Amino acid sequence: MQAPVVNIQDVKKVYGKSGANQSYALKGVSFSIQQGEFVGIMGPSGSGKTTLLNVISTLDKASDGVIKIAGVDISKMKSGQLADFRSQKLGFIFQDFNLIENLTVYENIALPLSLQGVPSRKIGPSVQKVAATLGIAELLQKYPAELSGGQKQRTAAARALVHEPAIILGDEPTGALDSKNATSLLEAMTNLNEQHGVSIMMVTHDAFSASYCQRILFIQDGELYKEIRRTSTREVFYREILDVLADLGTQK
Amino acid sequence: MLVKLSMSGLKSKLKDYLVLLVGLVISVSIFYMFQTLALNKAFIESNSVISSIQFVFHAGSVLLAIITFFYILYANSFLMTLRQKEFGMYMMLGAKKHKIMMLMFLETMILGIVSLVIGNAIGIGLAQGVGQLLMKQLEFTAGGYKAFYMPSLQITCLFFLVLFIISAIMNTLKLSRISVLQLVHAESHTDRPAVKGIMTVVTAVLSIILLAIGYWAMFNMETLMQAGIIIALITTTSGTYLLFMTFLPLMIGRLKKNKKRNEKGLNSFTYAQLSFRVNSLTKVLATVAMLIALGAGAITAGMGFQNNVMVTVNGFTPYDMVIHQPTEQEQAVIDTITFISKQQYRYKVDKKYVYYVKTDLEQHPPFAPYGVGRDSFGQYKPITEAISTGVVESDNWNDALRLIQPHYLYREQQVQIVDEQKYNQLQAEESSVIVGVSDDFLAHKEKWAQLDKMQAAKYNLSEMVLNSKYASYHMMHGFSSGTVFMGFFLGIAFLAMMASSLMFKILSGATKDISRYQMLHKIGVRRERLVRSIYKEQFLVFLFPAIIGVAHVVLGMKMFSFILRNPYDRIWVPLTIFAVIYAAYYFITVQMYKRIVLPSK
Repeated sequence: MQAPVVNIQDVKKVYGKSGANQSYALKGVSFSIQQGEFVGIMGPSGSGKTTLLNVISTLDKASDGVIKIAGVDISKMKSGQLADFRSQKLGFIFQDFNLIENLTVYENIALPLSLQGVPSRKIGPSVQKVAATLGIAELLQKYPAELSGGQKQRTAAARALVHEPAIILGDEPTGALDSKNATSLLEAMTNLNEQHGVSIMMVTHDAFSASYCQRILFIQDGELYKEIRRTSTREVFYREILDVLADLGTQK
Repeated sequence: MLVKLSMSGLKSKLKDYLVLLVGLVISVSIFYMFQTLALNKAFIESNSVISSIQFVFHAGSVLLAIITFFYILYANSFLMTLRQKEFGMYMMLGAKKHKIMMLMFLETMILGIVSLVIGNAIGIGLAQGVGQLLMKQLEFTAGGYKAFYMPSLQITCLFFLVLFIISAIMNTLKLSRISVLQLVHAESHTDRPAVKGIMTVVTAVLSIILLAIGYWAMFNMETLMQAGIIIALITTTSGTYLLFMTFLPLMIGRLKKNKKRNEKGLNSFTYAQLSFRVNSLTKVLATVAMLIALGAGAITAGMGFQNNVMVTVNGFTPYDMVIHQPTEQEQAVIDTITFISKQQYRYKVDKKYVYYVKTDLEQHPPFAPYGVGRDSFGQYKPITEAISTGVVESDNWNDALRLIQPHYLYREQQVQIVDEQKYNQLQAEESSVIVGVSDDFLAHKEKWAQLDKMQAAKYNLSEMVLNSKYASYHMMHGFSSGTVFMGFFLGIAFLAMMASSLMFKILSGATKDISRYQMLHKIGVRRERLVRSIYKEQFLVFLFPAIIGVAHVVLGMKMFSFILRNPYDRIWVPLTIFAVIYAAYYFITVQMYKRIVLPSK
């Protein structure tokens, strides 16, 4: 078996200075994601799922534990190296798109490649290809302000994908979309995952979105609470998820 | 209740309000500073070598008023953008529109009055400080100049009150026309890059023509007189604005068009930042270019008048010192001065003639003027023409001897050249003259003054008629120091105004950029790269107005050629000073901008 894309061991995150007021956002979480997996992270608000994502995406530093992405230990890197690492190995899709509104769709998608110093002649074909995959080839010359929410999020997805990162990290990518756009984005993501072997990790609180994943990790109070795998159809999986969520709700 | 709410909203955007307030305060104080000169008729008329100085100040007032007017309008529309989202929210929650409009009106007025009070106070302080400093530096006692000048205070208050009322009304009107929805979504709206068309070409050509006329007027200021000032003022100003409106978007478009360059690193972002800003930037940058032209121009002109003093003085005589029959006292002073060259010529005087020794003059030929026409002014070199004994007939030699023998000495006698032998046999009173060129005339000012005093006492003459280099220096300095003072004073004021408007423009848009830089940080752009992108973007913003402004200065200096011997003499000094200030200013702005937009480490 290949080395996992994401491998985290006993990761802790403490807020506040050592003393009485410390609060643990993560209390020692361990799991790994294999190449080509589509994993969802779920949990109620305040469970630590956003902290977990921030730590994996190198935007935040873990207080303790080991985080390896694509075989590289990121916990000892300096901020400049982390930035380079993000730009090469990670792709982001945010809830609020985070497109740069004064760049065209084409320029937005091309940005990660430009940043890595890819020569101009190679950028064009890559952008075209990824745009075609996500069905936004017609929109390349438009500005984000002229796009619908769904189109914006596809653009964001294309940007996350264009430099062929080790993994795509989604932070509630469907959060700002209506159900139709959300479905179409999730289908596109599934397609990327299944047809192109792209690894995806997605944080969501929405059971419907989560049902597109192959595996879901539930987090509560900073700890891994449960893990379920999809074994049959999406509809069945959806119900299973709802059951776990109900459990989570009543447990307290 | 609503007032309380709006106060809390104000607090949350304190940074932006501070930028706005600083911008307004500076424009008020500069306007005041300018008016302390412009309205003090007695002072400027008695202290200027430019005959139509009053008119120049009137023209300047109009120009400054126009610039200030647009600046204030822009600043207040910025205030509007700060508030609109919040106002939209209040209205959505059920606040009545007229109440909101009232609020907007009051806010604009309060901000205006506060900046008027602070601005006037700072203006008085600045006028006092700058005035004192300059007077000290220029050894100029500006009798009649008042840092606290009531008419200036009145006109400043009146002018700005009117401006603030106009902009308050405009803000309120604007508010009354937009719908709640537009207000709420105000921030998500982005402007589009400029669209080019045939009109652009026409205006581009027009701007060039206007500038050409302006330059022509400045070149021919001597013949056009006051009309020239008016023509130059109108055409250069409007030409500059049109130039920026047409060429700037075009040039940035060009930058972006080059695909290879655009797709290199962060360039696409840097250029996009520029091209989206360019529409709102053009007017500000044109204003900045004009202010650079006025500021650097005023300083350059001031320096030109200052340099002109020495150019003219050096034109009168090549010698720093000419002393006949030096007394012991005089000799003592002379010994303390370092000379590049110092000659002593012996002579004897009787009733009819002054006899100079031929060999003395041959061994150390004195200076004589050379060249013809206007260019010959101030050109001296040691005389090369041979000299024969007898009464001097050569014009060159007459000129040369006139320089070493001032007109008030030996009026009755003619000059005769004799050889050594005859000189020794002459039964007449022997004397001598020392002429010298020092290493640095200005460094020994006090000693020249001392010598002049002694000479005047010796011949029982007034110091003014001594005709020494120091006497002419003293006179010329007295003539021009007032003009130099005005030039420097206004230069400093205009440059400060330039700095504030450019800084205001850049910082007022900065909060909108925060999210962009944050996003780039998230997708993995190193901090150093973001910093480099900021430096590059701001460099381009600073570059364009500097080029145009300096071009105006360099070409515009030509208009002083009818009053200054050489307007381009040492022009690099003020331009270098300007470049240093401007560069420092660039770095400060970048630092401030960085602090706003970049995610903290």
